[in-house]
Amino acid sequence: MVKIAIYPPNSLILADLLERKGHTPLVLQKQIREKIKDPEIDSPPMNITEEDPIKGLKYAAIEVPSGVRGRMSIIGPLIDEAEAAIVVDGAPYGFGCIGCARTNELSIFLLRNKGIPVLELKYPDNQDETYVMVNKINEFVDSLEEATEEE
Amino acid sequence: MSENLCPKVKMSSEDWDPDVITRMIILGPGARVSESEIVGEFHMLGLPLTIKNTCYGSMISGKKEDVYKAIKEIRKLDPAHIFTKERGFAPGDPRRCRGHRFGPREGFHQMEKEYTILGYVAEALENPKEVTVEEKKPIKVDEFKKIMDECLEK
Amino acid sequence: MVKIALVSCGTEYSGIQKEIEKAANKFGAEIILPEIDLDYIDESYEKFGFSAQSSSLKLMIARAMAIVEGRSNPDAVFIATCFRCAEAALVRNEVRRFIQNNTRIPVVTYSFTERTKADELFIRMEALATTVTRRSILAREKQEGLTLGLDSGSTTTKAVLMENNEVIGTGWTSTKDIIESAKTAAAEAFSQTDYGWDDVDGIGTTGYGRFTMGEEFKAELIQEELSVNAKGAVYLADCQKGEATVLDIGGMDNKVITVNNGIPDNFTMGGICAGASGRFLDMTSRRLDVDITELGPLAVQGDWRRAMLNSYCIVFGIQDLVTTLAAGGSKADVAAAACHSVSEQVYEQQLQEIDIREPLIQVGGTSLISGLVEAVSETLGGIEVIVPEYSQHIGAVGAALLVSGMGHRQDNK
Repeated sequence: MVKIAIYPPNSLILADLLERKGHTPLVLQKQIREKIKDPEIDSPPMNITEEDPIKGLKYAAIEVPSGVRGRMSIIGPLIDEAEAAIVVDGAPYGFGCIGCARTNELSIFLLRNKGIPVLELKYPDNQDETYVMVNKINEFVDSLEEATEEE
Repeated sequence: MSENLCPKVKMSSEDWDPDVITRMIILGPGARVSESEIVGEFHMLGLPLTIKNTCYGSMISGKKEDVYKAIKEIRKLDPAHIFTKERGFAPGDPRRCRGHRFGPREGFHQMEKEYTILGYVAEALENPKEVTVEEKKPIKVDEFKKIMDECLEK
Repeated sequence: MVKIALVSCGTEYSGIQKEIEKAANKFGAEIILPEIDLDYIDESYEKFGFSAQSSSLKLMIARAMAIVEGRSNPDAVFIATCFRCAEAALVRNEVRRFIQNNTRIPVVTYSFTERTKADELFIRMEALATTVTRRSILAREKQEGLTLGLDSGSTTTKAVLMENNEVIGTGWTSTKDIIESAKTAAAEAFSQTDYGWDDVDGIGTTGYGRFTMGEEFKAELIQEELSVNAKGAVYLADCQKGEATVLDIGGMDNKVITVNNGIPDNFTMGGICAGASGRFLDMTSRRLDVDITELGPLAVQGDWRRAMLNSYCIVFGIQDLVTTLAAGGSKADVAAAACHSVSEQVYEQQLQEIDIREPLIQVGGTSLISGLVEAVSETLGGIEVIVPEYSQHIGAVGAALLVSGMGHRQDNK
């Protein structure tokens, strides 16, 4: 079982395809759940307090807008944990955590720069492209399994 | 009803349990089971779960192991068309429930968009085949010039 | 309850959502989100025409569109984006203009950090909430009857007596006891006329001591200084229509207010650096042994480039000026360098946070220092700077103007 970061980190399709293959997709919702189930709800709705953008300093300098650092404090730990990554370009846009282009650029860069296997895909527009996406993800995941077995 | 963004959170102890998770079950187009059949099946499993019918499928909430067990069983009904996703907030959490808080939910629109290709994904899962897609390349300069000249001559 | 629509790309990710809600609730308002669907987001984004990369900015544009097109009907709009984000700053300003040009809904904008101070939010929310509930008062363009405006600031207290759209008396004293200082300033204003306390139709109070004074003098209007100063400035400068920026470099802190049709829509306030305040000029004039009123004309004759100034700091900067004098530098050059330094520092610390709109109306005591006004214009690339008459009494003029029509003390007698 490999921990695979996905981008967008809240994608239904990516997470589902990985789980089918028995891997753990590192998804945003788990991070959110940790935050919001904290018994000390200081700052609804997301319970992000002014401490979080400060935690985000691990990923981005102080001169970077607070919203980027606040988001990085949620997405960053997923990147840290990742053993592989799948990045989809041109995916339908989400809001909230992934509504900030600068955060997304930084996250994708960190994933690419981490020295882990990264699969980059284009979001499909039609049936054939969807086939290509599903096949590539399956091949990628199989190659990860082989690599783990060899170890 | 207050439209305020920060409603007071009153939830059961179960909702606060970090071991309790929530998953959304989404049926792709062309599914061979219905939403109510899915809900029925969940009830039949006899696991201690909170089960809710929603506009996109259903939502289940419970202890992590029960939820995963239930998902594994449910997928068997129609492996290619049943998709599932984590949800951060528990069902009906006033901080996210549309009934309490107006404006779009952060992840909702993305799910709405992803739904449009779920049919293709299901097809690819059900009938795997090799497909090659021609990559689009920018037009060559000479070609561009030729077309431009042609258009200008008209 | 006043409904304030939040148009933002994600205040909650900076951990300040709660602060915003708190500030709104304090002034009897609540925050709402305009309800829109996905198709509408795409549609309004295309219609608006700004290609933003961040999807939350698209959402922000769509929410603004929903307000303009009447799908959502808030009483006021709060537009907020992260400080230092270029993309969001561009969208914030365009969305602000879009709403102001197409609706009559008051707007306040803000660029925040995780360290957003509660009082900065409070004064914005108070301004928004009062703009909604007192729209008719803020629309006042002419003073009528006999009114008294009192402005109790942190360092000085000002009083202005107005009659039939003219200032007829002014008073000024340093703030000690709030009530006593107000009485002293008012007495000075009355002494220039034949009137006394019993003759006025109404009293308006503003500034830090507005509530204390308001209670004591049973003021008809107690209003935060953001709306009052903005109103006073555009009234005195005859810029009640269109856009303007009001700059007040104070003795302790500075205010920059942007105004649209007489109503403030953004504001920045600072008070952490004496080098960016009137205090620096006060120190300079003492070192030069000239009266503060002479510093301005002196500075105008000098050239700041000829005085060595390596620091903006009130300690090290002043030391540099002394060194320049000791080396035979002229007083005029030193005065010019001091004005230039303050203006640069105000720019560095505050003007960058706000979209400056012409004309710039400079007010407050320091606006009387001509050298500083010149330096501000130069720092901002030669922008038009207006210093209206009575600019040092701006808050009191604003209060006297706004309270007119509210007070009926003479009718009630």
